[in-house]
Amino acid sequence: MPELRKDPILGRWIIIATERGKRPTDFIIEETKTTGGFCPLCPGNEKTTPPEVMVYGRVPGMPPNSSSWLVRVVPNKYPALVIEGELDKQGEGLYDKMNGIGAHEVIIETPNHNERFSDLEPEQMTLVFTAYRDRIIDLSKDSRFSYVMVFKNYGRAAGASLEHSHSQLVALPILPRMVVSELAGSLSYYRYKDRCIFCDIIRQEIQQNVRLVCENDEFITVAPFAPRTPFEMWILPRKHASSYSEIDQQGLERLAAIFKESLGRLDACIPNVPYNFVLHTQPLRSEPLEHFHWHFEIVPKLTSIAGFEWGSGFYINPMPPEDTCRYLQEAGEKK
Amino acid sequence: MKKILLVDDEDGIHLLYREEFEEEGYEVVSAYNGDQAIEKFQEEKPDLVILDINMPGMNGIEVLRRLKEISPELPVILSSAYTEYKQDFGSWASEEYIVKSSDLTELKNAVKKYLQ
Repeated sequence: MPELRKDPILGRWIIIATERGKRPTDFIIEETKTTGGFCPLCPGNEKTTPPEVMVYGRVPGMPPNSSSWLVRVVPNKYPALVIEGELDKQGEGLYDKMNGIGAHEVIIETPNHNERFSDLEPEQMTLVFTAYRDRIIDLSKDSRFSYVMVFKNYGRAAGASLEHSHSQLVALPILPRMVVSELAGSLSYYRYKDRCIFCDIIRQEIQQNVRLVCENDEFITVAPFAPRTPFEMWILPRKHASSYSEIDQQGLERLAAIFKESLGRLDACIPNVPYNFVLHTQPLRSEPLEHFHWHFEIVPKLTSIAGFEWGSGFYINPMPPEDTCRYLQEAGEKK
Repeated sequence: MKKILLVDDEDGIHLLYREEFEEEGYEVVSAYNGDQAIEKFQEEKPDLVILDINMPGMNGIEVLRRLKEISPELPVILSSAYTEYKQDFGSWASEEYIVKSSDLTELKNAVKKYLQ
């Protein structure tokens, strides 16, 4: 019997098509077609990118935009939103519009062209998470922006256009609809129970241990109760915090450790699966929020979105998270 | 005389651009797909490439990355009717990304900028 499940934060329903009884090997991953050739993100080609806004690991004494670096952050060369200008909010009858102001930046995660994010050394991955934090802090000084969205597309099917490992951030003058819904859903729970729903999820998942993928002293990875796709994972800090930008050095290192562990397990179950991950954090300039808890959501690209999903907002997921979690746990034991 | 390699699968574009750029004092050589572009590039040694993206076979961004691998300093201007290829970070290898228009001023200015 299929099962309908409700995401407790967003109220979003999903359908678990349990009778299909999928296994990880049932998913066919199209081999990524790599075009090869010149890479604008590789060391030595720095002049093909806009000048860097932040860099980590540059050899002391070397000039900006030279080829010695470990992580580099550059503005998008052909951005969808532009950094210069005023918002100029306007009404057109009942419709609202404003200028397309925003910051779109690319975080080049490694100098090595063929190195996957999941294969980065922990120290290197820590630098990537440091870059996310530092860019959010820097962009929060711009009063035009309300939110910074950090995300990664891995694999062409998940939207990555270039094989050189990179992630992106977009600073927006408005709060994305998804963030508004998450804030509202978690606030509604908080008003009713006087507790953070994410803290409750952490407690329950540790206690039940049926969707707990892995954990360390600062973070846990869970397969959420109502996942949109098979092998969806959330990484949450154990300690309540609403803003990613508050994370300290030890937290960054522990985050890198659990990310590497989680992606390693995912890769062991479905090698080279395309995925997206997105950082969910509080809006810029917000006071610390008791009801919201920053976290990452990792969504493998294993299902497609078609008419039913567009029309209903439901997702159809052929594998219950309890099953995917079991596979992910076993993958960890085999390592 | 500076030489431009024009890569596009549409005859109309070749007719129009050839006339306009020859009038500006450039020599124009034509290629109609990606493979031909690489071949012509090696034969003709152009000073600049105007490159369409949406072509049968190898698309313009793949061609761009191949050309830049051979000659990183070669100026390449992507010229497409579509803006969505801007999302492809491979397009960063180009000097400019210009959306096709009946008004060639922007394209002509970009060519002038790189061929001065």
